[in-house]
Amino acid sequence: MKKKLRDFIFQELVFVADPRQFSDDDNLLEAGLDSMGIMRLIMFIENEYGVTLPDTEIEPDNVQSFNALEQWILRHQK
Amino acid sequence: MTGINKEDILEKLNPADSFTLAMDEEIRQDGLAGSYGCYALELSKLPDILVLQQRIDEFSQRFPVALASLQQIGRHFYWCKRNEPPTLFFQHHCPDSENEADFQQRTIDRIINHRQARETTAPIEFHLLSSPTRHVFFTRWLHPFTDARGADLILKYLCTADVTQRRQFGLPETEPLVNAQLRKYRWWQKISLLLKGKRYIQTLDSLASIQPFNCDARPQRLNYSIRRLSEEQTERVVSLAREQVGLTGTSLYYIGCLMRALEKMHPDNPGAAYCAPYAFNLRKQRALTPMTGNHVCALFAQAPREIVQDRQKLFAHLKQQNAQVIRQQLDYAFLPLMWAGSWLSLAKYGKILRQSAGSEKERSSFWFSDVGRLDMPADSFPGAEIKAVFYACQVTSPPALAFLSSIYRNQLTLSYSFVEPIGNPEQIERLHQLTLAELLGEAE
Repeated sequence: MKKKLRDFIFQELVFVADPRQFSDDDNLLEAGLDSMGIMRLIMFIENEYGVTLPDTEIEPDNVQSFNALEQWILRHQK
Repeated sequence: MTGINKEDILEKLNPADSFTLAMDEEIRQDGLAGSYGCYALELSKLPDILVLQQRIDEFSQRFPVALASLQQIGRHFYWCKRNEPPTLFFQHHCPDSENEADFQQRTIDRIINHRQARETTAPIEFHLLSSPTRHVFFTRWLHPFTDARGADLILKYLCTADVTQRRQFGLPETEPLVNAQLRKYRWWQKISLLLKGKRYIQTLDSLASIQPFNCDARPQRLNYSIRRLSEEQTERVVSLAREQVGLTGTSLYYIGCLMRALEKMHPDNPGAAYCAPYAFNLRKQRALTPMTGNHVCALFAQAPREIVQDRQKLFAHLKQQNAQVIRQQLDYAFLPLMWAGSWLSLAKYGKILRQSAGSEKERSSFWFSDVGRLDMPADSFPGAEIKAVFYACQVTSPPALAFLSSIYRNQLTLSYSFVEPIGNPEQIERLHQLTLAELLGEAE
């Protein structure tokens, strides 16, 4: 799951010089993931994983890293 | 081709460039200078002129379109080489006899209102305004040359001391992102998107847009007003924005606050809804490329008057509308529309872009752009510290009002651009006070 998220974010939304150096715990918001990018990311996740992510849960804690994103998605897949 | 050799062509305008060119024509038809964007850095002292001049020269050599002339060949427009390259860097010194603030205002006023034929104007100009205690580095560009993010990249380029790091700018060279995104769709998907975009516009057009000003007077000049919030105020605005519209729509908070301020100012102005176009950038965040060209697509925020009157309902509405637009891919639906529009004459395209279908009424209540949080290091400008930034942009009449926001060094700057005498500084002051109260959550 994280590979797909990484591919989408680094290909479409955020530029980092070397994505391999960007760990699953590094902060995506500090790396430049902005409001429009978050919206696109959520649409991507909902289409890709068949989940609905509630608006009320769109918080930094859930989107700030690849690990946080994965946990958020998994909670809604169960 | 008339009088232009094929080898003189540097670049063809992309569909997003053509979109801004149509607006340039509309603004020129109003009798104003044209579609220019302006980005100013307020500096702590006189910078290192020699280094600045060298970097500007280097920039224009790396990106020769900065020295080009905009020419029409057939139906399309191109950046073409010219025999005499234009001057890009100008210095303006405050005379001893003049007040510094007056000098700054007067000089910027002259730069943003300078009228020059599209073919002879420089795509971008850099102006250094200096006086004993005020120093401003003022960049003015013709909009088809680049967008606000591109201008930000160009300034970052000029502020990068390390030559190896400067070489990273503009790399990898890519085709215009608008074209790259369009290429992702098969022809039938493009048609489907185009129809979707047309239906979206028709829905927007079912509600007549409220205008901020009475536009009976003839436009004469662009004026601007800059208001900067304190760090505490900015923190409060950011926190309220997150509370009201969440992580996904900071810009919507500013748009909503401005809509409410306009409604309070002129509750009797005719129309059914406020409608604000805004662009989203196709560049990846933090990418150093592309430097030139426009790489944006348009979106609209629209809210009926009765919803604008209720703060909670308004933000819920704008947030839901934005989510809906992205969910249905209506944001990308403008790409094929922009491509199709680039084949029309500028006059026809301009009308389609501005006027609600079937009427001659302006679709936009105001122009809006949120540049977001700027990450340019304060100590990066050659020989001076960057204290603050501000923006201005030319706008059509109607709506004769553009609102630009940005956060630099933890301070939110609101830049109001308005066309005189349709709007005036007293009206903008009142609008700002109402907007500020909304932004700070202090409005009744």
